[in-house]
Amino acid sequence: MYYDLNVPWTDNQREMQRAIAFLDELGYDVVALTHTLSGKIPSDHTSPIPATLPFTVPSRLRILRRCTLLLTDSTTNNKLPDLRSSYDIVAARPTSERTLQQACQTLDVDIISLDLTQKFETHFKFPTLGSAIARGVKIELCYGQGVGTQDANRKRLVIGNATQLIRVSRGRGLVFSSDARSVLALRAPADVINLASVWGLGRERGKDGLSKEPRSVVEFARLKKESYRGVVDVVYGGEKPAVVERQQKGQKGQSQQQQNKRKGDNLEKGSKKSKVQSAK
Amino acid sequence: MVRVKYRYLIVNYLYPEPSSDQKHPSHDAVPQLIQFHRPTPDKFDSRALYQAIRQAVTELFGDYGMGMVGQGLKINYHSTATSTSIVRCPQAHYQMAWAALTNMTELGKLGIPVVIRVVRVSATIRHAEEEIIRRAKDIILRAQGGEDTVGVSDIVRAAAASKRREDEEMVVEESDASDDESE
Repeated sequence: MYYDLNVPWTDNQREMQRAIAFLDELGYDVVALTHTLSGKIPSDHTSPIPATLPFTVPSRLRILRRCTLLLTDSTTNNKLPDLRSSYDIVAARPTSERTLQQACQTLDVDIISLDLTQKFETHFKFPTLGSAIARGVKIELCYGQGVGTQDANRKRLVIGNATQLIRVSRGRGLVFSSDARSVLALRAPADVINLASVWGLGRERGKDGLSKEPRSVVEFARLKKESYRGVVDVVYGGEKPAVVERQQKGQKGQSQQQQNKRKGDNLEKGSKKSKVQSAK
Repeated sequence: MVRVKYRYLIVNYLYPEPSSDQKHPSHDAVPQLIQFHRPTPDKFDSRALYQAIRQAVTELFGDYGMGMVGQGLKINYHSTATSTSIVRCPQAHYQMAWAALTNMTELGKLGIPVVIRVVRVSATIRHAEEEIIRRAKDIILRAQGGEDTVGVSDIVRAAAASKRREDEEMVVEESDASDDESE
């Protein structure tokens, strides 16, 4: 199972559909469409991403909704918990060192995503990032900005920042995602793993960054949203299955019966043979 | 006996954007799978590919990378019709060549936007060949509608898709096992 937890959402349906089809073609299983918010969160904010998309989605692909909040000031985001009701994943993108520290230590988010194309004033410090990783908040590395451009300067910044983050986080708790502004910046999982290993993370850790770590993000976010205080979740409450399900079950039963029939045929033949033999 | 060891990268060219001559509305009738896997222009021959890789390596790794990769770099197979190539590179530094391919966004100097995908790293050219044949068969089946047609039951379709993914997941692992095989 491969995850791409950062695909920017656009209103352009054709483009969105194409991007999703291409992600399926590349071999991703779970994709999160990202809506980026900046500034203060309005009190009646709802997600612009519809729960069911207006076009056909490949059957294997699971689509999630994610919100990335730009943290410019450490005081404006007290409505952050409200976002959980309309999104599956909540991420924060700190812009300064203070907001980064706040996001790592206290904010209730799932992912901390850093804009790798900008130059940071200070080096990242392990105590800051380590506290996030210890809390189970993952750090996101977006390769799309570096891979999809011709701009050499951006490429350099992305590579530099990514290697920095890998070094400081000691390779733990990293999530790779695309953040691709156009379809052309999307890459297949194997290519991303290779990129990670060239950046000094190693093949195994790179694979974790596309499968294990994002899976834990998705599952924790789901638990936070649906369960009671993130601890108790009712998986099956003993309800009777709906009528539609029953029909499906009936079909399954039929197919099983057919299979049984086949087996039965064989058995019958066998038994006939044995009968014949016994008669002889 | 000591021999020089290589890695063979199987490279696929994918076209996520509609090409400029196909932008008119009737183009929508073509299934997206075929749009993504459309043939590469004949102008992009193996020489152009060789040059493009060399340029990409130099761009990303400079003279050092060029020195490490350039020695053993060779295009063993290049098919524009199926948008597939086999690129040979030194075993010790195949990751550099791979990263350079990942960073390419255009087909050489033609300026056609492309996403290059390495589908398999193989230690012997025989395995590379087998893999290409397997993939070609697979894609023909999919284009004919084995996986996506209506009417085929969901279970069959999902099983086919998950099998395809499993095959695709083993990008490098298998080739390491076949490392010691003689050519």
